[in-house]
Amino acid sequence: MAFLEINNVNKSYGTDTLAVEDFNLQVEAGELVSFLGPSGCGKTTTLRMVAGFEMPTSGYIVINGKDVTNVPPNRRNVGMVFQAYALFPNMTVAGNIGFGMRIAKKPSGEIKPRVEEMLHLIHMDGFGDRYPYQLSGGQQQRVALARALALSPSILLLDEPLSALDAKIRVALRSEIRAIQQELGITTVYVTHDQEEALSISDRVVVMYKGRMEQVGAPFEIYNFPKTEFVANFVGTLNAVSAEVADPAASIVHIEGQQLQTASEIGHMHTGDKVMVAIRPERLSFSQDGKKANLIDCKIENITFLGSIVRIQIIIGKSKFYMDTFNNPFLELPKIGDHVEITCSREAVLVITPEQVVA
Amino acid sequence: MKRRGKVWAWIIIIIGILYFFLPLLATFLFSLRAKLGVLSFQAYVNVFNDPKFIVSFLSSILWATLTIVVGILLFVPTAYWVRLRVPKARTAVEFITLIPFVVPVIVYVFGLVRTYSRPPLLIVNNPGLLIAAYTILSMPYMYRAVDIGLRSIDVRTLTEAAQSLGAGWGTVLFRVVIPNIRVAILNGAFLSFAIVIGEYILAQYLAKPAFAPYMAVLMQNKAYEPAALAVISFALTWACMGIISLFGRGQQGQLAGPR
Repeated sequence: MAFLEINNVNKSYGTDTLAVEDFNLQVEAGELVSFLGPSGCGKTTTLRMVAGFEMPTSGYIVINGKDVTNVPPNRRNVGMVFQAYALFPNMTVAGNIGFGMRIAKKPSGEIKPRVEEMLHLIHMDGFGDRYPYQLSGGQQQRVALARALALSPSILLLDEPLSALDAKIRVALRSEIRAIQQELGITTVYVTHDQEEALSISDRVVVMYKGRMEQVGAPFEIYNFPKTEFVANFVGTLNAVSAEVADPAASIVHIEGQQLQTASEIGHMHTGDKVMVAIRPERLSFSQDGKKANLIDCKIENITFLGSIVRIQIIIGKSKFYMDTFNNPFLELPKIGDHVEITCSREAVLVITPEQVVA
Repeated sequence: MKRRGKVWAWIIIIIGILYFFLPLLATFLFSLRAKLGVLSFQAYVNVFNDPKFIVSFLSSILWATLTIVVGILLFVPTAYWVRLRVPKARTAVEFITLIPFVVPVIVYVFGLVRTYSRPPLLIVNNPGLLIAAYTILSMPYMYRAVDIGLRSIDVRTLTEAAQSLGAGWGTVLFRVVIPNIRVAILNGAFLSFAIVIGEYILAQYLAKPAFAPYMAVLMQNKAYEPAALAVISFALTWACMGIISLFGRGQQGQLAGPR
């Protein structure tokens, strides 16, 4: 039995707005699962239902074998970290961390060492007497994490915990959160709209769109083998262009009159069927001499230096593509306006129908 | 240009100070002239020696304290609940809290007297009615002060954070919400205090001892003592303001959160 079970959960507001639809998920003990999706996709609503702040319209939620669907939030033993930190301004750092234990009427001899332990865990020894307003955003969020963990909750919920922080701190803190989660082995649900964040720290990612689960899988799987058009577009940068099935038996499609072979199974389609073709920018490269498969003639429209990678914008007919190549100081890049040949493997060419990505 | 602006600013400040302090100074100096030819605190001694002053003043303090307690118990949970659970009702609640501004106190007091001086609710002589009336009268100040305080903190997230740590509603209210809006509550409390201390009509028509009716009677019979009373009430108000700023010290900019 999974540690956290979300079974057939639906959440609607009034009669028209369906915020979460038919949500089913099993999270194993010690696993970190991220809910990833754009604003309004239902990820936070689902998390809030696990926390007890929202009631499912139908379905039920089980934590550690106990049905908690109707249990109020203060009796769920769930640790929660909020986007806005939510530290109590009238309490010191130590007061904040020890708050849950004082509510639980733990003896003070137990609270103090636990607070010290938590401060050590978040690398903030000696900060116990400070007030939240004396801390930076990153420090406040670490205190919020320590506060949520101090009571040894059965499950940790993080609602976009890094959204309010600047980029560098975000990257550092997400690694820290992951390290702490692994050290404690605590089952964690993490909500984010930042795909890089979700991919980098999660054991599994649930991609959500319009209240529905689009795909659940390991980050590698989500990125490389998207199952729906939404996942393909939302996770990572994607070149998605209209195409036409040219030879279903030979798995050949046409983009702007140019021929591409795909590894997607399109044998059941018919010649002339309209499809979408998606290729990740990093899967495209300049063709080497002698290579003949999947060659595309194109024109360089723009070149953008992004540090570790160089993003090249190319035009194929009327369609625009991006191509990423690793930065190399000795790399000889073509010039804007040059006509070049690019290529990609047939596995890189994903065929998407409106319903799903063809495997 | 900048220098000229500064000069004008100072002139306006000085005019403001004179406008405010000159009458006060004149009243104070007048209150010291109770004894012919010498400046003395005789008027103050007379006031403090008058048993009616002690009774009316202490009564007003008692009414004010009870009004504040009832107001806090009534309006803090209401404003909190409206903000947290029924934000759509805010406009309606705000409108209700403003009604005391538009209904003249004299109309209000006649309504109270007519309604509660006959069965089944013959309570016109009960001090509870006076407290209830004062609470309604101070409602716009107390409710708005509390609501402004609640607006300055993220009530919903703080509530949820406390709940996720095991706190029930009472704990959330008394250990998280109220300590974080204490200055707002104090503001509301002292405004209520000032209103009750200076209120004349309710106490007069509900026939209860209070400071304002006492002052009105004194003004009809004496010259220097009313001036001394005016200075005393100013001193009282300033003491209240001092206490607010004392409690509010260090509150500015202490709100944590994303930055």
